[in-house]
Parts: sequence; structure tokens; C-alpha cells
Amino acid sequence: MKLTRKLLVLLFVLALVAAACGGDDDSSDTTAAPADDGGTTETTEAMTDEAPETTEAMADDDGGDDGGDAMAPPTVDVGVDLEAGTISIGMLSDLTGGFGPLVTPIVAGHEAYWGNVNANGGIHGLQVELVVRDTVYDVTNHVTLYEELKDQVVAFGHSTGSPHTLAINEDLQSDGILAIPLTWYSGWSDPAINANLLPHGAPYCIEAMNLIEYIYDVAVESGIAEPTLAIASFPGDYGLDSMEGAKLAADALGIEILHDGSGTIIPGQDLLPVADAITGSGADMVWVTANAPTFSEIYGAAIAGGFEAIWSGAGPTYSPAFLDSPLADALQRDYYGTFYLSPWGSDSPGMQEMMGVFAAANPDAPPTDFYGEGWVEAKIMHEALLKAYELGDMTQAGVVAAAKSLEGIDFNGMAPTETYMGEPNDIVQRQSMIFRPDAELRAAGGTGTRVIEATYTSPTAAGFVFEGACFEL
Amino acid sequence: MRGRPHLYVSYESEQSLLPTWTQRVIVVLFLFLMVLIPLNGGIEIGERVFQPLGFLSDNSWLKILSRVAIFGIGALGLNILTGLAGQVSLGHAFFMGIGAYTAAVLGGEVGKAHWGLGLPIWIWLPAAGLVAALVGMLVAPTAVRVRGLYLAIVTLGLVFIGEYLFRNLVSITGGSQSGRKFPELEFRWWQSEEPALAFNSDGPIWAPFNWLDWLLGPWINFPADVSEEAKTYLILLVLLVVFVVLAKNLQRTRIGRAFMALRDRDIAAEVMGVPDAKTKFEAFAISSFYAGVAGALLVAFIGRTIPEQFNLLLSVQFVAIILIGGAGTVAGTLMGSVFVFVFPRLVQDFSVWLTETVEAGGVLSSVADFFVSTSLDDPGLVSTLEGVSPGLNVSQLNLVIYGLLIVGFLIFEPLGLYGIWLRIRNYWKGWPFTY
Amino acid sequence: MIPVLIAQAAADSAVDKLVSAITNGLSLGAIYALLALGFVIIFKATQVISFAHGAIAALGAYLVAYFATVINFPGDLIGGPTWLQWTVSAIFAVLMTAVVGLVIERLAIRPMIGEPMFSIAMVTIGLDIALRIISNDFISTEARPLGDPFGTSVWEAGPVSMAHSEIAAITVTIILVVAIAWFFRTRIGIAMRATAFDQEAAMAQGISVGRIFAIAWAIGAGLAAVAGIFASLFPRASQGVSSETAFFVFRAFPAIILGGLDSVPGAVVGGFIIGLAESFAGKYLTWSGFGVGFSGIVPYLVMMVVLLVRPYGLFGTEEIRRV
Repeated sequence: MKLTRKLLVLLFVLALVAAACGGDDDSSDTTAAPADDGGTTETTEAMTDEAPETTEAMADDDGGDDGGDAMAPPTVDVGVDLEAGTISIGMLSDLTGGFGPLVTPIVAGHEAYWGNVNANGGIHGLQVELVVRDTVYDVTNHVTLYEELKDQVVAFGHSTGSPHTLAINEDLQSDGILAIPLTWYSGWSDPAINANLLPHGAPYCIEAMNLIEYIYDVAVESGIAEPTLAIASFPGDYGLDSMEGAKLAADALGIEILHDGSGTIIPGQDLLPVADAITGSGADMVWVTANAPTFSEIYGAAIAGGFEAIWSGAGPTYSPAFLDSPLADALQRDYYGTFYLSPWGSDSPGMQEMMGVFAAANPDAPPTDFYGEGWVEAKIMHEALLKAYELGDMTQAGVVAAAKSLEGIDFNGMAPTETYMGEPNDIVQRQSMIFRPDAELRAAGGTGTRVIEATYTSPTAAGFVFEGACFEL
Repeated sequence: MRGRPHLYVSYESEQSLLPTWTQRVIVVLFLFLMVLIPLNGGIEIGERVFQPLGFLSDNSWLKILSRVAIFGIGALGLNILTGLAGQVSLGHAFFMGIGAYTAAVLGGEVGKAHWGLGLPIWIWLPAAGLVAALVGMLVAPTAVRVRGLYLAIVTLGLVFIGEYLFRNLVSITGGSQSGRKFPELEFRWWQSEEPALAFNSDGPIWAPFNWLDWLLGPWINFPADVSEEAKTYLILLVLLVVFVVLAKNLQRTRIGRAFMALRDRDIAAEVMGVPDAKTKFEAFAISSFYAGVAGALLVAFIGRTIPEQFNLLLSVQFVAIILIGGAGTVAGTLMGSVFVFVFPRLVQDFSVWLTETVEAGGVLSSVADFFVSTSLDDPGLVSTLEGVSPGLNVSQLNLVIYGLLIVGFLIFEPLGLYGIWLRIRNYWKGWPFTY
Repeated sequence: MIPVLIAQAAADSAVDKLVSAITNGLSLGAIYALLALGFVIIFKATQVISFAHGAIAALGAYLVAYFATVINFPGDLIGGPTWLQWTVSAIFAVLMTAVVGLVIERLAIRPMIGEPMFSIAMVTIGLDIALRIISNDFISTEARPLGDPFGTSVWEAGPVSMAHSEIAAITVTIILVVAIAWFFRTRIGIAMRATAFDQEAAMAQGISVGRIFAIAWAIGAGLAAVAGIFASLFPRASQGVSSETAFFVFRAFPAIILGGLDSVPGAVVGGFIIGLAESFAGKYLTWSGFGVGFSGIVPYLVMMVVLLVRPYGLFGTEEIRRV
């Protein structure tokens, strides 16, 4: 007992020593992911052998190494170190909280993207480092970690969660720092809120309009004269934003909503009442905005009761792992899904490029569709940083200004083009990818997500006049 | 009495909060240091720039220290209930939520979907505590009836019922996963006035005139402007000190002694005239008051949050604080809350340091490499490639260590950090003799 | 004619609703009963409420997913039909979880003997955090399907309609309850009862209390793993074991308190009562004024009401308090 106590004390002292060390190089300390440099040297070798074509899509290749294309070095303040040749980007990620399983591969997508950029000369010779912090999907942590990173990084590569991002939004504006929200809340397209935010992908409510109109057409084609709808969702911005979109679409198309379960899906509780309400309504179409575990519970209970309908749901509702579960057959019959970008293994050039990089860096990494999300976010940040460099102002505020003047960011078919300059109604993203689950694709080594419409905009979504968030937080 | 600090000649002096001069000096010095931490540029005394614990003046550290203060206040409340009165509670988060939403309704601004009266802090802060205390009194009768682990599970149920209420009372809480804005940390005399003291914006400590400078300016050169984080930290520090004194004082009052009697031998206490029901009633009320105030401060500190904040994990965090610190002692509670919030940051900094060492190469690098996994084929405790390589990532490691620490402390040091401190103190007291 | 038909249909659907509330409540109750049984066995022997039960259940379900689907061990050694192979591998995984229970007891619980109950409970909370993170790391990005043979098949007879996995859950629960009732009559079982009654007296009779503790934790962990399996099957969480599986256990807490912390029959009865209460609340308390998620707190409300009447649950022994 005595010995163990001593050991404990020793450990404590060690921790204090570590603290001292950590404290000392606080200013230069940045990377939770600096090993990328180590990792990317491998990447470079692999890359130069087999995939030289990827470089053209990336930053200016070797030209950057010589100190730039006759461009004067930009003004810098926080997060860019011209002497050390580094740029630091902050990441407020949920790695161990409720969305940990989704955000972790998104972070991996960022790492792969920047690893590739760094290996090809970085941004005009500057190497990009990610500073990843785990928020555990907790607002207090989010605020504290924002405070830690704001004096270290030039911008935030993503900020997980809507209430969380809103909690730091005022600070982002007063500190003049850019962030990419990792949520698709429609409020991010509102100029009153998004002065320092770069949203991407179709917002939840537009996504709902797109997909509901699509399955409406499917139902009508299959011979149902007046298809009816049942909807259910999480509470909060994600669920209710999506529900607003669903109701708008239903109004526009004259669909009768037989059951409105807005905000009734509570994770961690028995979801049979939700499933009962949906099956009891006898609707021909179902629209669910939830996450994969809750959806599988509702859907499982519904088909156990023999209920058949066209099912569909917002992006995060579906998980490719469904195809390994007992639900696979039923889902292939019933489900229409949507996402904000094309899935792993689709044949767009952007995706092929990303897969090449992943194959070189981590050949054994299990495929998921979320790498692409990280890749897209990183690409947007890349464009913003390049633009800021060209404008000669890589200060935090300079990056915000540069980002807000970006136009037509092209993801090589991986995701719909994004623009950040112009009227909100003109630049809000209205395109969704629509897919169906396909077990054969998954058996062949993909994620089992078969794209049927890469960029679909329904007439309702196209005609929707955006005047602020669909659902006000 | 010089040189004989433990000789008490009166009951009052033995019962005083800080009986010896050494303790008084240490406490004053410590408080002085704590106040100096946020004064960023350091203070000039004569020619010299004096900046103690300078690295803590970083904004992110100030945020951590502010959390320490807020959770310290809440943990003091739980310590009164669990440490002093012996009533096990996992429902602390629920009472914090009650306090938070009382503050939101009284002090918050009216939104489209939720209520708010916009009253100043001197109303919403005490009210948050009082309303929570009232709810605590409603719960107390259950505690009279139910004991031990049964009580733990009942209070656990309270957290779930609280989550249900907060989720559904949309006009108060803003609704599940949406949340609302909370009152700002600023002092106003009445609704929508210019704040007399704003703890949430950069500037001098007190807007009308820099009183600290006016008072001590001739001798000490204070920085004129203080950051928002520093001001928040300072006001929370003041509140913490107030609540520490109250908690410390409680222990030597009749109520405090009744709590301890109830904890140690409840039936014996009752025989000796300590009424069971009434005392538990008081314990729940006082503890919930602390929780309510801490809840209100927490949400004002964050600014905007969601009802899911007040979940079981928050309760567990409080229990961890008092158990790691040492249940039943005020000093231990404070140490525990420092530990619970500072330690994760240390682990994070340490793993950053490890990975940097691996990169830098040299003698240490191979040692560090043993712990760090930098690629898929490289096993190690800490993984730097999020999500794709073997091993835990830094944040996972942090949580695992947090969990194991709770286990370790309970097994090896049931008295917590306070016990370790006692041992160190006693060692030096008797030095060079071992006892 | 038409009103009669409507009345007939209404009666049919009312019967359907009632029957489905009952079947659903029973299958949910079976899982709660398994969890509660594990709690009670651990509590009886070691006077600990294991808050790590959720993490153990999730770990157990993950081990099933790993052994039965990824490596199919030791099922592939036996051969035969897939369902047999799966069952063998699943049982092996459950035994592995029992070993985890043994290790936990030896490392973290044994040194705590004699400490206050709440401190030990807190140790299990710490373990829960650590174990949950580690098993989440195993589970990784997406949920792990268990590869079970039940699939989505449903058995129907008149108004009764149950998924095969639900029938399996109820059957397995009945078998395990009987087995445990029998176990308490064996030599070790009697030793366990003696230990629960009075540790010192049991020691004086030559019972190795330490071993009894270990066995109790092993059984508790094994039961948690079985519950974890059924909680991760169609139609509950058809997706398989995920990071949310661990939280399922919190729904079973009212069951153990309701039945009484130290009563084995109480755990089973409590489990089924809570399961039925939740199911009926979900089916019938659908008035919108209750708000969202009301059926989720009904178990806790039932528990509180029962506790106010009977402070030691329905079957729990009253603690005799002395000065």
C-alpha cells in the first residue's frame, strides 16, 4: 500500500512537471496532429510514384517551395509563422461525445487533405498544421477550447454543433476569426449570423424539400395517386429545421401530413411510440431526421409491425453500416437517402483523387462517407487561405475577408460548387446528392451508397426564397 | 503564545476560521497570487515587473480557472450535502439546471420563443440559488424516507426527470438541442441600463474609474485595461471566496454540527436532539442553493447553452470533484475542482509534448515513440491520426485517465488530494523525524 | 351495418394495441430483468451498485460482434449450421465478458472492501467512464452488427406479432432466471447467500468470500453481456452495438430499485413491471400535453411512488439500523 501511494505521488509530480513543460512552450505548441509531417513523408513518396495527376488539383506544386510566385509575403498575425513556414488551423471537433463516431473520420479527412497539400509544397511553401481539440459535444468545453485556440490559429477548420457554434459566434465576430460550421443549419446562410462563418452543403430545410419532392415523384410514378407523408425528428436546430423544410415541401406539393412528429425522437429512450405513431398514420412516405442508432430502432420497429412505405431521411440519419445489419434487405426496398457530397467510391474526379490520397496514406483505413466531408471542409479552408495569401493579408481578419470573397469553389464533382459572395438568396446551396442503399456495392468494397442524383434541386427548393433561418434558434 | 500555535486559550480562538498566523499569512498570500494571475502584463513594483504564475494569464487558462471557480461553488454545495450531511446525491445537475433557468427567465432577454425579464444580476443570482433551494426542499422528504444507494438512484431519477422538464419547457429553456441565450455577467442597477460593471467586455476593471489604479497606483503600476476573461475570472474568484467563507463557517455552526452528527450516526444524533427530517431538509436546501448559484454562473459564463448540458455526466463530475479532493473538507473540494479541470489540460499538453519529442528526434524521442502511435503499424498509447490508427486518441486517453483516476484515488487515497496534502504537511511538521 | 363494422375494426385495433403493448413490454422487460438480475447478484455479494454495468453490457455486445461475425471463433471449430456457430461464438463472448467482470472485481472492487458503499459505487462510475471509452474505440466509426441468425423475421399468431429475437430474449431470460434460482441451491450458491447475509460469519464457516465476490461479478458481467446482445438486435437497435448501447442500462435502474436492491425475484418482477410500464405509457399516454419523451420517465416516476410507500422496494429487505 505504501509503495503504491508513493507511486501515485510520483505520478502526480510527473504530471506537474509535464505541466511545466507544456506551459513553457505554450506559445509555440500547436499541433495535436503534427505527426502528419511524419505521415506525409510517406505519402509524398507514395504519391509521386503513382498519382502525380493529383498535384495539379492541389496547391501550386513545387513552385511554392522557392518562396512563392513572385508574390510578396503576406501580412500575418496569429496562426501564421512565416519564419517557421507554418499555418495553424484550429479544429473544434467532437471526438468522444455523441457525434464522435462521425466527426473522427471527418478529422481524418482534414488530415489527409492537408497531408497531401503539405507534401506538394503547402500553401506557397507554408506547411499547414491542424490543432485538433475535443469538445465532447459540450458547450462549455467548446467555449473554453475556442478561447485556447483563438490565439494560436488563423481560422477554424470546423466547429462541431449548432448551439455550440452559436455560443462562440459573437466571439468569432468580435475577434474577427473565420470558422466553418460542421452543421447544416439553415441559419448559417443568414447574413445577420454568418459574418464569420462559411457554411457548405444544402441546409437541412432545403435538403428536406429536395428529398421529399423526389420521393413524391417516386411514389406517384409507382401508382399512388395522392401520396401521404409522416414526419418525425430530433428536437433542436437539426430536427426542426428539417421539419420546416418538410412542411414547406408538403404545402407546395399538396401532400397531406398524416403524422407530425417534429422533435419527438429523443436519443436514449424507447422509440416505439414514435414508430407506432408513424405506422399508425398509414402514410405512404416517411421522412425522418435523426441519427443512425435512433433511425434503426424506429425503422426496425416499424417493419417488425409489417409497415411498408417509402422511407427517407436527412443526411446523418443513414449509416452505411445498416447494410451489414438485418435491416439491409428492407432498406434496399424502402430507403432513399441524401447527403451533402458524393460518397466514398463514387466516380467523380474529386472523390477519385481523395481516394488516391487515402490509399497512399492509410490503405487499411475502413472506408466511410465522412472522410469526404472533412476533405470538402479542408478544401474550402484551402481556397480561403490561398485567396488571403494572394491578397497579401493572412491575418485572422484577412482570412475572413478573403473567404467572404470566394466564388465558385469547385470540388471536382465531389460536392456542389460553393460561392460566398453575393445575395444570401443567390448563394445558399440548393443541391443535394440522392442515393439508395446497395448491398452489392458494399460487398464490392465500397460503402454501399449508390448515387442516383449527384446534384438534385427540386422545383420547391429552387423556388424557395431564403429570408433567414427556416427555424429560428 | 508565540511559537505555540496549537495552544488555544479560548473556545472562540480554536473555532476561528484561520486559527494560526501561518494559515492567515498563507491564505492572504495565496489570494493575492490568485488576484494577480490575470493581470496580463504583470505589475510593476518600482523598477521590477512582477508576474507570478505568468503562464496562467493566458485566456484559455483563465477560462479553465473560471470553470474551476464555478464548479468549486457547485462542489461546495455537494460537499455540504454528501461530505457533511452524508446524503448521497447524483442529482446535483438537476439543481444546477433549476438555478440556470431561473437566472435565464429573470435575467435573460426576451426572445421570440422564450421568456426573459432582463433583471440585473443582484436579482437573478440570489434568486437562482433561492429557487433551487426551494426545489431542494421539495426533494428532501424523499431523502427522509429513502436511504443510501436507494437515495442515489432516486436522485439519479431526478436528473432524468429534469432533462424531460427542460426539454419540454421550451419557453424557458429554448428547447432541446436549441437552447437560448443567458444573462450577461454584468452589474446593472435595473433593467436595460448601461452596466455599471461589465465583466464580459475588455476594458478597465470598473468603467467609471480604475479604482485599483487609484488606490495603489502610486506604488504599483497596474495594467489599465483588463481582458474580458480576466474580469470574468476576478468576479468569479470573489464569489468563490464568499461561498468558501460561508461553507467554512457553516461547519462551526449548530446546523453544520448537526449535519455531521447525522452523517456519522443518524439514530444517535436523533436521540441527542438532532431532528432527522429538519436537518436533511436544511442540508438539501443549502446544497441546492449552492448548486443553483453555480448553475446560473455557469450559463452566464458560457452565454448560450442547451438543456442537455444538465445531464448525469455533470452530476458525476461533481461527485468526482469531492471524492478526488476529499469528501467533507472545503480545502479538499477546492483542490478537487482544480484537479478535475486542470488535469485534462495537462494531459493534452503532455501528449502534444510527446509527439513533438518524437518528431524532434534525439534521445528522448525513442522513449516517447514507445507511447505514441504515428502510423498504422506503430502501436502506442496515444494516437496522432484521429480515428484511423490503433490506440486511443488524445481526448479518449484523457477520459480514460479521468475514469481511472477516480478509481485510483478511491482505492489508494480515500481522503483524496486533501489526504495527500495532510500527509505531506505532517511529514514536514515532524521533519527530520518521521513522526 | 357500417357503424358495426367500424366498431368491430376499432375493437380489433384496440386489441392489437393492447397485445402489442404487452408483447413489447415483456420483451423490453426481459432485457431489464437480465440487467437487474446482474445488478442484484453483484449487490447481494459485494454491496455495490455497479454503475459500470452499461459499459460492460456494451463491451459484451461488442465482443459478440467480434467473435461471432469478425473471426467466428470458436464457432468455426464446431462447424454445423450458422445459427449454431453463432450461438457458440456468442456464448464464448459472454464468457469472455464474465472474465472481464472477474478482472474488474479483483483489481478495483476487492481493495475497496470495507469502504463506504458510495465510494465503491463511485469506483464503478470511474470504471464505467474508462471502459466505455475503450469499448467505443473498439466499436469505432460505425455501429457493429451482431450477425445474429434472427434477422428481421417476425412470428405472428392472431393479434400477437413478435420478432424472433424478442421471443429469444424472453426465452433466454426465463432459462437464465431458472438457472440462477437453481444456482442458489448449489454449494457455491449457498455460500454466496451466506456471504450476502454475513461476510464474517461466512468466512468463519470456511467460505472464501473473495472467491464468492469474484463469482458474483463474473455472473453479473455475463448477464449484462446477454442483455447487451438483446438490446442490440432487431427490432431494438437493429444496427448492432454502438456508442449508445452503454446508456441503455440507465433505463434499467428503476427496475432494480423497484424490486429491491437485494432481491433476486424482485429484480425479475421489477424488470417486467418497468418494461410493461414503459411500453404501456408509450402506447397510451400519447396526449400531447405530456410533451416529448414522457414514456421515458414513467419508470422513474413509478419507482419514486413505490419507494415513498416501500423505501426498500417491493421485495428488498429492510436494513436494520442500530445506534
